[in-house]
Amino acid sequence: MTTNVADEKVLISVNGLKKKFDGMENHALNGVSTEIRQGEVVFVVGPSGSGKSTFLRCLNLLEEPTDGTILFEGVDITDKKNDINLHRRKIGMVFQQFNLFPHMTVMRNLTIAPMKLLGLSKEEAEKNASELLERVGLANRADAYPNQLSGGQKQRIAIVRALCMKPDVMLFDEPTSALDPEMVGEVLNVMRELAEDNMTMVVVTHEMAFAKEVATRILFMADGQIVEENPPEEFFNNPKSDRLKSFLSKII
Amino acid sequence: MSDWLKEFANRFYLNFIKDERWHYITRGLRTTALITVFALILGVALGFIVAIIRSAHDKTGKLKIANFICRVYLTVIRGTPVVVQLLIIYYGIFASVAIEKMIVAVIAFGVNSGAYVAEIVRSGIMSIDKGQLEAGRSLGFSYAQTMIYIIIPQAFKNVLPALGNELIVLLKETSVSGYIAMEDLTKGGDIIRSRTFDAMMPLLAVAAIYLTVVILLEFLVGRLERRLRNSDH
Ligand SMILES: Nc1ncnc2c1ncn2[C@@H]1O[C@H](COP(=O)(O)OP(=O)(O)OP(=O)(O)O)[C@@H](O)[C@H]1O
Ligand SMILES: [Mg+2]
Repeated sequence: MTTNVADEKVLISVNGLKKKFDGMENHALNGVSTEIRQGEVVFVVGPSGSGKSTFLRCLNLLEEPTDGTILFEGVDITDKKNDINLHRRKIGMVFQQFNLFPHMTVMRNLTIAPMKLLGLSKEEAEKNASELLERVGLANRADAYPNQLSGGQKQRIAIVRALCMKPDVMLFDEPTSALDPEMVGEVLNVMRELAEDNMTMVVVTHEMAFAKEVATRILFMADGQIVEENPPEEFFNNPKSDRLKSFLSKII
Repeated sequence: MSDWLKEFANRFYLNFIKDERWHYITRGLRTTALITVFALILGVALGFIVAIIRSAHDKTGKLKIANFICRVYLTVIRGTPVVVQLLIIYYGIFASVAIEKMIVAVIAFGVNSGAYVAEIVRSGIMSIDKGQLEAGRSLGFSYAQTMIYIIIPQAFKNVLPALGNELIVLLKETSVSGYIAMEDLTKGGDIIRSRTFDAMMPLLAVAAIYLTVVILLEFLVGRLERRLRNSDH
């Protein structure tokens, strides 16, 4: 990552994003604006309930924004005229609870979307999947069912499932929070490798040490807004707002 | 003792052997089986469609009119006796057209069963974690594709015992087919009774056949369930 990210093209551009859930008094997101450039690894941190997941889930419209726009590769995906299903193919997502398909083998989990949506043949799809499985060290589990895997294995498979669509960006919502501590490392290793390969990533996490190490930029959210965003050194060593100072003092 | 046995043999001969009366039973069983199988197919197809419309509406708020029609269908069908529905379809709807009674029966029992299948399948769809839908959608599958490839197969497995139960209920309910002069298993036994004036023996035989088929079905559904369970989870 020697290139200057500021020169890279903007992949996602978020403008004045708001989200209010039915029956909630306050906005979960209250005017969020930011840009995510090609190759950036953006971490999103903040206290519980600050809107991190909502922000991330708006990026592929799993949550429908109440207001504001999201340009993905220049196209406003909040505009109903645009087919969100086409854009979602290029936006990989990894969930806290893995959400693998339990009625399919690992291989089928990995190949169903490329075959049905991208029109790949079974052979092509399985070849791609096998290469990626190899990379995450799970080539021998292709025929297993998800319930036969450990949490760490499940999450690595879930990452591969998203990668099989050859996405332009990967979204992670607390990918290690549901894991036993001894399995966190194997998942973080896969994510680290992805970052080193210049994958554009947006990661919601509580793993501060990992954020410090891998992030190109960290967003701090509170009360549905981005309070501060900076590269890791600046973010941790020189926090400006009181909210961030008190947040950092609590977690370190 | 031997008197009793002789009496039994006589009645058996009279009810089943004489004039080849056992044909009423075998033909009746065949009719019952045909109605049940085709009504099941129709009912499952209808039930899945209704369940998908209803849960799509619950999830997205769309399909308001289709959902309303489904709810009327469910309320009417589940709120009236199947034999009344059968008679209305036979004498009311198809009165003026010459149509196979078998088709009338299949439609009546299929439409009836569909209402129960729909609610079974809907509960199965609702039992699937919402993360499954989100995972499917996040890959780029449409709502319909996610249902077909991801949600329905899992829901189907969860509701298989309930569907097996519905099949058994359906089989027994076809016993009112005689109301539109179909010679199903029950009617077959009744015809023998009207010829021999012996109620007990033909009706006990009919009951025994129903029971045997039901036990067989329970066994088969149980095996299918175990097969599906072993294949994963
Ligand atoms: N589906 C929903 N319906 C209603 N309110 C919701 C829903 N999802 C989130 N919220 C509310 O929106 C706010 C932001 O939630 P969000 O899940 O984005 O927070 P978060 O920063 O991800 O928190 P955490 O660290 O606990 O995951 C919270 O007040 C939450 O209660
Ligand atoms: Mg969250």
